[in-house]
Amino acid sequence: MSFVIGIDTGGTFTDGFIASDTGQIASAKSHSTPPDYSRGVLQVVRELAEAVNMTPQKMLGQTDHIIHGTTSTLNAVITGDVPLVGFITTRGHGDSISMMNLEGRYAGLGPDQIQNMSRTNKPPPLVPRERIEEVNERVDHKGAVLVKLDESGVRASVRRLLAQGVESIAVSLLWSFRNPTHERRIREIIHEEAPSIFVALSHEVSPRLREYSRSATTIVNTQVGPVLKKYLIPLEHELKEMGFQGALLIMQGSGGCVKASNAPADAVSTLGSVLTGGIVGCLHLGDALHHKNIISTDMGGTTFLVGLIVDGKPLTTTTMVLRQHQINMPMVDVHTIGAGGGAIASIDGGGNLRVGPRSAGARPGPACYGDGGVEPTVTDADLVLGIVNPDNFLGGRKKLRRDLAERAIENNIAKPLGLTLEQAAAAIYAIQNAQTADLVRRVVINSGFDPRDFVLYAFGGAGPMHAASYSADLGISEVVFPLGSTAAVFSAYGLAASDILLTAELSQPANFPVDPEAMNSAFAKLEADLAARLASQGLQLSQVNYLREADIRYTSQITEIPTPVPNKLLSAQDVTEIATTFATVYERIFGVGTGYRDAGLQVITYRVRAVGALPIRPALPDLQVPQSEARPVSVRQVLLDTRKGRQATAIYDSRQLATGSEIHGPAVIEAPTTTVAVPQGSSGVVDRLGNFVLRYTSIA
Amino acid sequence: MPLFHISGSERFAYKAKPLEESRRLIGDFPIHTVTQEQIDAVDPLTYEVVRHRLAAIVGEMGDALKRMSGSLVVTDANDFGATILDENGDSVIVGLYNTQLAACADMATKWTMENRSRSPGIRPGDMFLTNDPWVGGGLHQNDVSVMAPLFHGGEFFGWTMAICHQVDLGGVSPGSWSVEGRDVFWESTPIPPVKIVENGQLRSDIEDVYLRRSRVPTTVALDLRAKIGANKVALERLTSLISKYGATTVKAVMKRQMDDAERRLRAKLRELPDGEWSAVAHQDSFRAGDRAIYKIVLTMRKADDRLTFDFTGTDREVEGFCNCTYAGLRGGIMPVMMAMLCGDIPWAPGGIYRCFDVISEPGTLNNCNFPAGVGKASVGSAWATQNVVSECVAMMLDMHPEHRKSLMCVCCGTWDLAVIGGVDQRGAPFITLVSDPMAGGFGARVDQDGVDTGGLHCIPMGRIADVELNEYSYPILYIWRREEADSGGPGRFRGGTGGSSCIIAHDSPIDRVHLVVSATGKALPQAAGMSGGFPAGTQYNVLSRNTTVWEQFAAGSIPTTLDEIGGEKDVLQQHLETSLGRKDTYYLHWQGGGGYGDPLLREPSMVAKDLATGKVSTRGAHEVYGVTLGSDGSVDQAGTKALRERLREERVKGAVPNTSGDRP
Repeated sequence: MSFVIGIDTGGTFTDGFIASDTGQIASAKSHSTPPDYSRGVLQVVRELAEAVNMTPQKMLGQTDHIIHGTTSTLNAVITGDVPLVGFITTRGHGDSISMMNLEGRYAGLGPDQIQNMSRTNKPPPLVPRERIEEVNERVDHKGAVLVKLDESGVRASVRRLLAQGVESIAVSLLWSFRNPTHERRIREIIHEEAPSIFVALSHEVSPRLREYSRSATTIVNTQVGPVLKKYLIPLEHELKEMGFQGALLIMQGSGGCVKASNAPADAVSTLGSVLTGGIVGCLHLGDALHHKNIISTDMGGTTFLVGLIVDGKPLTTTTMVLRQHQINMPMVDVHTIGAGGGAIASIDGGGNLRVGPRSAGARPGPACYGDGGVEPTVTDADLVLGIVNPDNFLGGRKKLRRDLAERAIENNIAKPLGLTLEQAAAAIYAIQNAQTADLVRRVVINSGFDPRDFVLYAFGGAGPMHAASYSADLGISEVVFPLGSTAAVFSAYGLAASDILLTAELSQPANFPVDPEAMNSAFAKLEADLAARLASQGLQLSQVNYLREADIRYTSQITEIPTPVPNKLLSAQDVTEIATTFATVYERIFGVGTGYRDAGLQVITYRVRAVGALPIRPALPDLQVPQSEARPVSVRQVLLDTRKGRQATAIYDSRQLATGSEIHGPAVIEAPTTTVAVPQGSSGVVDRLGNFVLRYTSIA
Repeated sequence: MPLFHISGSERFAYKAKPLEESRRLIGDFPIHTVTQEQIDAVDPLTYEVVRHRLAAIVGEMGDALKRMSGSLVVTDANDFGATILDENGDSVIVGLYNTQLAACADMATKWTMENRSRSPGIRPGDMFLTNDPWVGGGLHQNDVSVMAPLFHGGEFFGWTMAICHQVDLGGVSPGSWSVEGRDVFWESTPIPPVKIVENGQLRSDIEDVYLRRSRVPTTVALDLRAKIGANKVALERLTSLISKYGATTVKAVMKRQMDDAERRLRAKLRELPDGEWSAVAHQDSFRAGDRAIYKIVLTMRKADDRLTFDFTGTDREVEGFCNCTYAGLRGGIMPVMMAMLCGDIPWAPGGIYRCFDVISEPGTLNNCNFPAGVGKASVGSAWATQNVVSECVAMMLDMHPEHRKSLMCVCCGTWDLAVIGGVDQRGAPFITLVSDPMAGGFGARVDQDGVDTGGLHCIPMGRIADVELNEYSYPILYIWRREEADSGGPGRFRGGTGGSSCIIAHDSPIDRVHLVVSATGKALPQAAGMSGGFPAGTQYNVLSRNTTVWEQFAAGSIPTTLDEIGGEKDVLQQHLETSLGRKDTYYLHWQGGGGYGDPLLREPSMVAKDLATGKVSTRGAHEVYGVTLGSDGSVDQAGTKALRERLREERVKGAVPNTSGDRP
């Protein structure tokens, strides 16, 4: 027997999932243990061993690989607990990372913050001025050297940085991705001066046009690389001590993983990994349920994450905003678009009821937590409306105080607006659902799709209470609530089912018609690079696929559209077809008739993803509950629809539901980690894996 | 030829009319309206849900415009607008884009209804295009708006509107900034509202009339499609919103959103003290060779819950291209109102307009008549108007303990215009606006410094393109792009720094780049400080001919100052059209924001930090801030105290008695 393990370290919990090649599965959950997250990981390993009735040594000895998603790098960046970094760049351009193309003043802020313009600020620069060194060298857009590298100047710069005690150095020169010789030579000089120091070169970390984000990405990589190294080396050592002989793999924001020893060099790509577990879970569950197009909505206590799976593949993006800095990183496109259950309801200066964007966060949290929160939140409204059972929140781990929720809504909303408590709570619930629909719709439409062509998956503690309502608003006809064996550790399950994924990219701007030879040589170079990197992982892979794309745009547009490119030797005819594919994708996103070929096309960046399938993939077992009709455990008065008011509502326990059980709204399903609201006009059935699949009969 | 009255041109000039008169002009045209009872009947839940959806729709319009446009000024700089308007042509909501443009959308829709509903008629599936600054819908001819009427059940329901800055629409100089221009006939001919889309089809005849005037018709055509596309997105979404909630409810929410903005702005105004504040903006030079100085005078009065902007005393319109129409005057007021007074109030201009009156005489600099030149209106007299409004509103806010936190001193006093054009490295013609000055300094605040290279007052989400993107797109090379020491107005809280770029032609097959320059604010600073804070520095542009840059490059070094660059330096006057040869460099140094409070009161350690980070020079720290540092860069406390003492004494000696009598 052979095992595969997924371990997902989040801000609050560390989740584990184990599966064997014989179909056995088990899960475990433990508190995360910042700042040393490895303790939580090892705890989960021990709990998993207990769950499969083995000693940790025995279990680990039979484990082929562990896939680990870690928040350690993101946490280091957010808390600022990163090593001192020096930055070397082209003379005349050292201010680029503090000017931030000026967009750093508002990037990543919500509309309410942007509108309050006179209070906006840029974040402190990634590297303070005194640790930025400008050196004489210059390459132009063609890659031609205009000023040769001043080596003695570089050496003096390196010494000045070392004298300031820097622990790592980022190097980002103008046009380095067209001609990397200067950056490479600078690394040699740095290592001549300080052989063991961590160095990141921009043409390796992110060989992409646009120096500000390339530099920011390189610097952040320099900050988190040593952090990840410091975290992984002891963790891998301890796992080996415990008998683990397989491969430790690290999840990246791209939705695939790499070997732990290769992760620090590209550490920046782990920053998004904490967001991707849920999408990867949806991807594999969707595979089992034959769903090709999925909107993944993960609404927790403090965040609301949305991602898309289209035609069986997660939608990806090429950039992210990290604390107002623009970072280049091929990653699964996950939008953080709201405050989740912690969104605060308030009356604005005009006497209007608002929900969000402010959040009560994890501390003090909603009023009903009894941790000092006095402002009413969405969770408080859910409780007052009877949707949430105060004794079954987080599987009973957290008792909720209904009196505090009522008081918060009464004092802050109901009284000022002249509403009853019930009306006020119902309004908060309905506004939250409608706004969620607005935000999800904008994400889907901006990606060029129609929400009606999707199945929606709802998970996270708060999502299932609201999903039936916002899905109806989006015109979605089928909603899946993963309540099966993976429910509590959904993203750890996603990790365990992941593939190896490596990405290589290269900016080589050119105007169409592009010489096919230039395209062929770019892709050949990227694929050779990937093949070498895959080989260096030293893993047994059952299959490897290469996926090519080119980022194309109409001349001088800001945004390129990743356009699929066929996997073969390209001819001039193929280049024309790529342009046609671009036009098709473009019109899908922006509408027929918006494309305009006469403006000309430019290709900016080539990209290849290598996907390597690992030998074991967990299969989900069928539900083991004996066949029986769904029977409610109780009935209580719940308000699920403002137009219908409070109704006698059947309450079900998810653990008693068998495959084929039918439930008709109004109903509420209580699961160990969440609560599913089934409003009147909808009904659903439990599938063979234990998921609850909801459809609408009459709801509008 | 001197400016003279052109008979019949008055009818293009927007004039606010009572609703009944406007309706009479529109004639027999079914219009969807709601009653006050219907507005009051909307419950808080529905209001919030529909309001949020309207905001989402404007956001989607902006997303669509940005991603479809082919102009860097749209895609990178957010120099565009997206608006939803009601059946009276009042703006219900504007996106967080160029707020100057948001200020004049309603003028164009009202004009179009009054003048086009009979002929050629306004029907479902139509869209209208205009770039006539007298009509509105833009501040100068480069601002082209496309407006789409929305019908529901046979009744006219409202408008959606998309506006973008177009790179070139003809006129004498590239970029349509005709620096020699004396009147509008030197510029791009304004297009009054014309039916560009009829029954869902783009009219090729009208499109040709429009594109024929441009030096870069393909770029302009792509933007036209972007605007049409953005309107289509908005119309579809509004239609489904109406089908879900009903036309009455949606309209009632639109009205209430404007009422809400009005009520909240009035409430805020009531909290502020009554009073009168005044400011003067001096503009130097209105066209190439002009050496005169012109003033815009504002007296702002606040009584109870109402503001009056009285521009009496402003100079008459002049021959040149820096005047602005009434649209520009409003474009000078609205960005400041939104940024400083409406940070927490819905951006519903239809409601905000009800809170103030404007007194301005037609035929003056910021309310000019046809055919005065307005090619540079948006960054000419409209910008200067914005500066005086900014000063007056900030002075008013400063009197309130809480609201003063929302004030900024004047941001980036003038626009440092540079248009480059020619043949790019791939042999194709190009024209572009150098967008770098978008990174102007923000004015200081009462409790913290202004944001360095933070942007412009009128564009909440400005952006500049990366150096590499500019070097890839155009045949230029950046010798540097950086923040500039001492460019932020000194103060207890310093104004944000501006910056500079130094470019040289590189890799053009014709070995040169055409250059149009227009940047005022050289004779005197324009980003005023307040409460003892100093203004930001003046505008500064230097053209260096026959430099030794390439020789220095070959020798392995990169110059970092104008002196190191060598060659013959020409400190430029305000306006110039010329070209850059292979060895010539152009240096643009755009402005910072004004300072707040006396710089001698600035915490010395903050000055030391500014010095270490290059925000202030040693000389600036010494002469303006009165701070002296030890050899290790830390503050010399005793020396600083003594120096500040001496500087104060000098101020007393240098004081000049005020003899004007009427102003303190």
